[in-house]
Amino acid sequence: MNLVNGKILNDNEARDALERLGELVLEARFSAPPSAETVIAACEKLGAMGTEFIPLLMKDGMSRERAEAEIELARSMLSREKLEARLKLELGALEAEFTPIDSPVPVRHSLAPLGTLLHIAAGNAEGLPAFSVIEGLLTGNVNILKPPSNDGGLSVILLSRLIEVEPALKNRIFVFDIPSSDTARMKKLAAVSDALIVWGGDDAVRGARSLASPDTAIIEWGHKLSFCYASLEASDAELLGVCRNICETEQLYCSSCQGIFLDTEDEAELFAFAERFADILERAAAEAPSAYGERVRAQKTLEMRTLELEGLEKGMRIIKRKGCAVIAENKTALEPSLMFRTPWVRPLPRKRILKTLIPYKSRLQTASLICPQRDREALSELLISSGVVRLCAAERMSEAYCGMPHDGCMPLSRYVRIVSGELS
Amino acid sequence: MSFRRKLFFGRDPYSREGGELFLAAMRETLEKNAAGSDKYAEILKREGFSPEMLKTEADLANIPPIPTLYFKRNRLFCVPESKLMIRAASSGTSGSTSEVGFDLSTLLIGFGTLRRFFRFHRITSIIPTNYIVLGYEPAKHNRAGAVKTAHLTTKFAPALRREYALKDNGAGYDINIEGIRKALLGYAKSPFPVRFVGFPAYMYFLLKTLEKEGISLALPARSAVLLGGGWKEFSGQSVDRAELLELIEARLGIKKERCFEFFSAVEHPLAYLKCACGHFHIPAYSRVIIRDAETLEPLPEGEAGLLNFITPLVSSMPLCSVITDDIAMMSAEPCPCGNTAPYFDLLARSGVSGIKTCAAEAGERLVDS
Repeated sequence: MNLVNGKILNDNEARDALERLGELVLEARFSAPPSAETVIAACEKLGAMGTEFIPLLMKDGMSRERAEAEIELARSMLSREKLEARLKLELGALEAEFTPIDSPVPVRHSLAPLGTLLHIAAGNAEGLPAFSVIEGLLTGNVNILKPPSNDGGLSVILLSRLIEVEPALKNRIFVFDIPSSDTARMKKLAAVSDALIVWGGDDAVRGARSLASPDTAIIEWGHKLSFCYASLEASDAELLGVCRNICETEQLYCSSCQGIFLDTEDEAELFAFAERFADILERAAAEAPSAYGERVRAQKTLEMRTLELEGLEKGMRIIKRKGCAVIAENKTALEPSLMFRTPWVRPLPRKRILKTLIPYKSRLQTASLICPQRDREALSELLISSGVVRLCAAERMSEAYCGMPHDGCMPLSRYVRIVSGELS
Repeated sequence: MSFRRKLFFGRDPYSREGGELFLAAMRETLEKNAAGSDKYAEILKREGFSPEMLKTEADLANIPPIPTLYFKRNRLFCVPESKLMIRAASSGTSGSTSEVGFDLSTLLIGFGTLRRFFRFHRITSIIPTNYIVLGYEPAKHNRAGAVKTAHLTTKFAPALRREYALKDNGAGYDINIEGIRKALLGYAKSPFPVRFVGFPAYMYFLLKTLEKEGISLALPARSAVLLGGGWKEFSGQSVDRAELLELIEARLGIKKERCFEFFSAVEHPLAYLKCACGHFHIPAYSRVIIRDAETLEPLPEGEAGLLNFITPLVSSMPLCSVITDDIAMMSAEPCPCGNTAPYFDLLARSGVSGIKTCAAEAGERLVDS
């Protein structure tokens, strides 16, 4: 589904519209952008309609509980309170009026949109493509969205509802449902854009770079990895927090804990710790039954069995428990787990943290640190200088808060320019 | 004569008389596999199994089962690679492929078995036949097992002509819808029977195209449809078997008795034929164990789990006990089709497509680099 000027277009109509996209964008930019207040009011109304989108989410096999929780999350993200707080936290400090210390002329720093944003969205979270567009609207940009292939029309439905409640937004939202492989048409989208916002993995980023001319900015929200760093003294209660994150997120998110790096060099200590961790994980897994069914379980079983056969040469130990497994391996590398409650435990003595993690610096996201108080500061610094951008308690690794930086940046600040003007 | 030869050369592929012979052949191949591969011998040893422990049918479950995934990530041959007569790669629906290799004795027994199996089911014919291959044209650059199987299937009746849905262009493949259409209309005017060979999904799309264009053919008697290999990337569109059979009769004039659906795997190169009731009966030279999807413990009849094939066919690789990605179920109910051999039903494939994650890929790339 495509969306141009508030109208849903079929693919042929969208092809025609694409030829005129340059003019359409210019036309939109000719008038002043709707104020952030206008966008916030529209978002609030859209959030209030939340429940009508539940069947849409359930169509793709999502459970009712999950769909309700997702809608509740979306409503909260779109609430006036949160959007206003975000604008203040993320952009407030950038605006200023002052007389520079080295010049007599007073100046004003004000914010202006980048111009036209092309959002190349990923399919890993429902509603995220539309939300990316809303961030672009809040900052006054004209937005073109290329939805992910598995979007199923959700983005067009959400954004056309947004236009219904606030018609002033209609010429600032375009959706072109073009496969990423259609580089000729993708290049046309990129050609009228000032910046490409890319969500997704390396292939998506590489693809976007090949589309953009050198004068087009690329803003990347790539895939990341998160983990826990623990010392041998970690208590069962602290490890339970790790297990809860693993079970709740099924290790599917950037912020999900993929495994535990243990501050040890001793293999026996590693395996003993892994056994203890597996017991706790089994308890947590029993408390939170997986929403994924037998087919996923079967696939995990085959992967575990294969690892078991391969592990022969690798000094690997697979600790299988009901509904989960811990893979203890004397190997120091950051890798995704096999997901679905199969964390790894690997040794990483503190003196090797920097050397081991720096190669992954652009991939690191959240770390939880479980260690005695006396070590906390030193270990935090090591993790941060390796590239970690968020440190928090394990059970909160995948919980976001309002005004949280995203992968080390304030998202809204990346969609604006700071314009300097003289005050006379 | 080896036990293995004796087992596979039996007259009735579904005979259940040779239980002892099956066990003897299993011990023979297991010993050969272990002697030919230190790695496999080590696996058996570590899991506390040795071939002479195989005394009853129940002991078959104790042979360490190896997932097909293992062969996608590891090469494990029990003969020097120079003895491998053919190599084939599984078509890898999930992205990765297995490489398997068969030696001369495996091939001779395997082909002989397949020929007798086809003859038993009256699929072999001496009448010259026109073929529509709903799959890849054989090419030097493609070693997928499915190509070889499809090509082999066109040997069970002498081929007059073969037209391929995916035509070799030297470096890759072109979709040949027009060629197929033309060939089919030409075949329909000829007195010789037509055989369709290949993937069910392609067959379905061909039938849908004919339906859309309002084409109904009455192909010569003895024409047949031979399908196998799953629904491939179109699994989201998997249609009801009854609908497929109806479409075949309506569009091609081929009755359901002449439609044969097979199941096979590169890692388990034997054919299973779907009977009139939709079940795969198990021949004398293989056994099926259904295993719990989590613990891998054998399950009783009537419970769904992972599909584990047992056969002594392959001497060049340790394929005696292989777990596929399929979820299946055995049944104790007698089958109304009249075949008294036990049977299994395919229910699903393991894993889910379209899992939404933003975590995995980041690391996969790193591991590569």
